[in-house]
Amino acid sequence: MHTMPNSIQSSESNPDIILDVRKLRTSFRIAGEWHAAVRDISFTLRRNETLALVGESGCGKSVTALSVLDLVPSQNGRIEAEQIQFNGRNLLGLSEDEMREIRGNRISMIFQEPMTALNPVLSVGHQVAEALLYHRDMNKEEANRAALELLDQVKIPSASSRFKEYPHQFSGGMRQRVMIAMALACRPDIILADEPTTALDVTIQSQILALLGELKRDTGMSLIFITHNLGVVASIADRVAVMYAGNIVEIADVDSLFAHPTHPYTEALMRSIPRSDRDTETLHSIPGQVPPISRMPDGCRFAARCDLARPICRKLDPALQQINAGSTHEVACWVRGDHDLTAIEDRANG
Amino acid sequence: MADTLLRIENIKKFFHVKRGFPVAKTMTVRAVDGVSFEVKRGRSFGLVGESGCGKSTLGRALLRLVEPDSGSVTFDGQDVLSTNASDMRALRQRMQIIFQDPYSSLNPRKRIGAALVEPLLVHGLADKRQAHERVLKLLDEVGLPPDAANRFPHEFSGGQRQRIGIARALTVGPELIVADEPVSALDVSIQAQILLLLRELQESHNLSFVFISHDLGVVRFFCQDMAVMYLGRIVETGPIPRIFEEPLHPYTHILRDASPVPDPRQSRKFLHIEGEVPSAVNPPSGCHFHPRCPYAADICKKVSPDWHQVDAERGVACHLFDTGNTGPDYPKR
Amino acid sequence: MTEKSENMPAPLSSSALFQEQVKRTFRSNKLTGLGAVIFLLVLLAAVFAPLLSTHDPLIQNILDRLEGPSAQFWMGTDAYGRDIYSRLLYGARISLTIGGVAILSAMVIGTAIGIIAGYYGGKVDDVIMQFNDILLAFPTLILGLIVVAMLGPSMQNMIIAISLTSIPGFARIARAPTIVVRERDFIEACRALGYRDWRIMVFHILPNVTSEVLVMASLWLATAIRTEASLSFIGLGVKPPAATWGGMIREGFENILDNPWLSIFPGLAILLVVFSLNLLGDGLRDAIDPKTRVD
Repeated sequence: MHTMPNSIQSSESNPDIILDVRKLRTSFRIAGEWHAAVRDISFTLRRNETLALVGESGCGKSVTALSVLDLVPSQNGRIEAEQIQFNGRNLLGLSEDEMREIRGNRISMIFQEPMTALNPVLSVGHQVAEALLYHRDMNKEEANRAALELLDQVKIPSASSRFKEYPHQFSGGMRQRVMIAMALACRPDIILADEPTTALDVTIQSQILALLGELKRDTGMSLIFITHNLGVVASIADRVAVMYAGNIVEIADVDSLFAHPTHPYTEALMRSIPRSDRDTETLHSIPGQVPPISRMPDGCRFAARCDLARPICRKLDPALQQINAGSTHEVACWVRGDHDLTAIEDRANG
Repeated sequence: MADTLLRIENIKKFFHVKRGFPVAKTMTVRAVDGVSFEVKRGRSFGLVGESGCGKSTLGRALLRLVEPDSGSVTFDGQDVLSTNASDMRALRQRMQIIFQDPYSSLNPRKRIGAALVEPLLVHGLADKRQAHERVLKLLDEVGLPPDAANRFPHEFSGGQRQRIGIARALTVGPELIVADEPVSALDVSIQAQILLLLRELQESHNLSFVFISHDLGVVRFFCQDMAVMYLGRIVETGPIPRIFEEPLHPYTHILRDASPVPDPRQSRKFLHIEGEVPSAVNPPSGCHFHPRCPYAADICKKVSPDWHQVDAERGVACHLFDTGNTGPDYPKR
Repeated sequence: MTEKSENMPAPLSSSALFQEQVKRTFRSNKLTGLGAVIFLLVLLAAVFAPLLSTHDPLIQNILDRLEGPSAQFWMGTDAYGRDIYSRLLYGARISLTIGGVAILSAMVIGTAIGIIAGYYGGKVDDVIMQFNDILLAFPTLILGLIVVAMLGPSMQNMIIAISLTSIPGFARIARAPTIVVRERDFIEACRALGYRDWRIMVFHILPNVTSEVLVMASLWLATAIRTEASLSFIGLGVKPPAATWGGMIREGFENILDNPWLSIFPGLAILLVVFSLNLLGDGLRDAIDPKTRVD
C-alpha cells in the first residue's frame, strides 16, 4: 500500500469507530493504463454495526473490501488512501507480515461461493482448526475442540459427526456456515461478507442472514455486508452505503435510506425492484448501463442515466454532503444535495 | 375466460446417475415426478421453486428438449410428445425458449445477424433479403441498434445479450415462450429493463409464457398464474393474487415470507425455517416437505398427499390444507 | 474478482481481436514465427522444385557417382550419380504431399467422428470411442506397417496408412470440445429452433472445435512426415526411382561409409520440417489456450 503524499494522520480517534477509511482509491492497470475502480471513498464502521455496501456489478463494492485487507493483486492493482484506520491503527504501510496478523485474525472475510473458498481435499473440521493453529497459541487438540464448538455455534447439525467430512459432502448452505465458522474462529472485530447469500436459495438465505445477525449480537463484532440485493440490505443492515461506478453516492441509516432514498440512483434502484410483498404495477427501469471503467465520464458518473441531470452534473463531481444540517444521511448529488445550485452553476460558468 | 394454449399432464422425467467407487451404483433422480398444469393463451404462468426442484427440467421437457419419460403435453390441441420429427420442427416455430445465462446462450463464433437470419432461412420463412430486413426490425424491437447485426456476442453486455436471445426466440414467431430464469443473472436495473421489454413483447406479439424463476417478486410482477414446485412435484397452483394473499401450502407460505423485501420495517425479523431441501435422489417418504414442515402430522410422513382441487382456479397438495392447522399466523416469527 | 472483468473496456471487434491474438503470439514467441517461416520456405521449395533444381532428379550418371558437395553438385551425388540437392527438392514434393493429404483426410474424417461421438453421447459415443481407443493403442509406425504390408507399397496406400493412424487422434481431439460446447445453451436454442442435427454439428459445433483441431494438425503433420520417412526407410514407401526423403536415407545408408552426405542431407531436411512444424504448432496452441483467449 502506498500512502498518498498529502496524507494526514487522523488526529481525533473516536473509540466507538472500529474502521475509518478515508479517500480510498483503488486502481487497476488495464491495457497499460491505470483506471480507478474505487474513487476516493470514505466511510466509517462503528463497533457492533452492520454496514451494507450495495450496488450493481462493477460498482467497486468488492474491491473496497479487498482493499481494506490489502488483497488487491499488486502487479495490476494499486491502493491509495489517506488512511485506513483500524482500531486506532493505520493499516496503510503495514508490512505483509503485519497484514497477515490482521487478516483472518482481526478482520476476516466470507465469500459468495464457499466451494471455491474451501479446500476440497481437507476436512471441514481441519480447515476451521487451521485458522486457530495459525493465529492462536493452541495445540492441535485444543484447536480441534474449539473448531467443533464453532461448527456448533454456526448451527451445523450433528457437527461432531460431520467434523471429518469434506466440503463436497456439504450443501451450499452448510458450506457457507463452515465459512462463517472459519471467519469467526479468531473472534475478529470485523467480518467482511462479500455476497455471502447470493448463491443460496431464499429459505437458506434467510437462515444464514438470521445466523449472521445472531452472531453479531452475541460476539459484538462489526459486519461489512456486500450485496446487490436491497431486500437483503433492508433485513440485515444498520447503515447502508450505496455505490455507483466506484463512488459512494449515498450513505445513511437503513431506515432513513429506505424511507427517503435521496440520490436519483438509489431512488431508481428501489423503484426497479419487483416486490414480492405487494403488487407492482410498473417497474422503473434505469436506461443505459454503467460506463466501463476505462471510459468514465467527467462529473457525476450517473449523470448520463439520470432524469434530473443538469449541465453542472456533467462537469463537476459532487461530494457527499448531509441532506440537511445535522443529519447522518449523506448524498453526493448536485440536484438532491443541500446545495445552492444557482451559485455553484454561476461559479462553474463564470 | 382465455382458452388453454398448453396443457401438461402428469409429466415425469427421471435421470439415472452412476455414483460411488469402486463399485458404482445407479441412482434415480426424480427430477420431475408427475406434474400437471395449464397455460392460458396470452398469459404468463410462473414456475417457482428452489434449486433442484425440477423447474428447469420441466421447462425443457415440455419443449421436448429432454424427452419426458411419461405424461402428456398438449399444445393448442396437438399432442406434442407423440409428434413425429418433421411435424415437431413445424411445432418448434410456435414454442420457443430463452435462457438464464446470457454468456452461454449465444454462439461465440457467430455474428448476431447470422444467428438471427439462420432460423428464418431454415424454416423458409423469408428469403435472404427479407430475412435481413426482418432481423433489423427484430433488433429494433428488442432495443438494439442495427449495427449489432455485424458484431459478435462478446462485444455485448449481459443485458444486451439477453435482448439478443429474446430476438432469436422471436425470429420464428412463437406463441409460447419458456423463459428459464431470464433475469436472474442480471443486475437489478437491467433486470427491470428486460422484464419491461418482455411485457411489451407479450402485448405486441400476443405471447404466452412459462416463466421459470426462483424470485417471487419477479414472478409476482410478470405472471398471472403460478405453480410452486418442491422436489419434482407441484405443491400449489393458482392465480398469483390469491396465492400471495393466502398461501395454502406451508412451503408456499415460507417461500413468500422468506423473500427479502426492500423495507426494513418488514424484513427485520427472520422466519424460523427448518433444514434444507433434501436430495432428489432419495426424497423423504410421504409428503416430500414433511421434514421441514412445522405442522407435519403422522400421515404426512407416510402418505404422499393427493391433489386437492380447491376451486376452479386453485389446487394444493397438502394433507392438512383444510384442517386450519396451516392458518394465517404461520410461520411464527 | 468478478468486478474487474466486468469493468474491462469493451473488447475489440472479432477480426481485429484475432489479428491481435496472432500478432501477440508471433511477437511474444519469436520461435513460432521462425517455425512458420521455415515451413513456408520448405513448402515453396517443393512447389518450385522444377525451377530450383539444378539437375533432373532421376537421370543416372554412373561417372559422377558418390561425389561430395561441389559447385556442380551442391549436395553431392548418390550411388547412381543423381544430384542429391535436386532429389531433395522433388522428395519434398512427395513427402509433403503424402503427409499433407494424409493429415488433411484424417483431420476431416477424425473430426467428423469426434463431433458425432461427442454430440450424440451415450451408446454412440461408447462404441465409437472404444473402437477409437483400440486403434490408438497401436504405435503409429506399427499400424502403418501393417496397413502398407497388407495393401502393398504405393503412394496411395501410404496416404491411407498414415491417415488411418491419425484418425483416432483427431477424433479424440475433436470430441473433447464438442462435449463442452454441447452443454451450452446456444446448442439447446438450436434444437428448440428445430435445426437438424447435421446443421447443428456443422454450423454450430464445428467452428468451436476447429482451432484445437488445426493446432493438432500442424503437430501431427510432422509425425506424418516422420512416419512416411520411416516406412520408406524400411522399403515400404513409394517405389524407386522416385525420390522420397526416407528412401534417400535408406539408399544413402548402403554407402554411408563412402559418402555420409547421402543420408545427412535428407535427414537434415526431415529434422528441419519436423522442427518447424512443432514450433508452429506449439505457438498456435499457446495462442488458443483458454487462459489467453478472450471469448
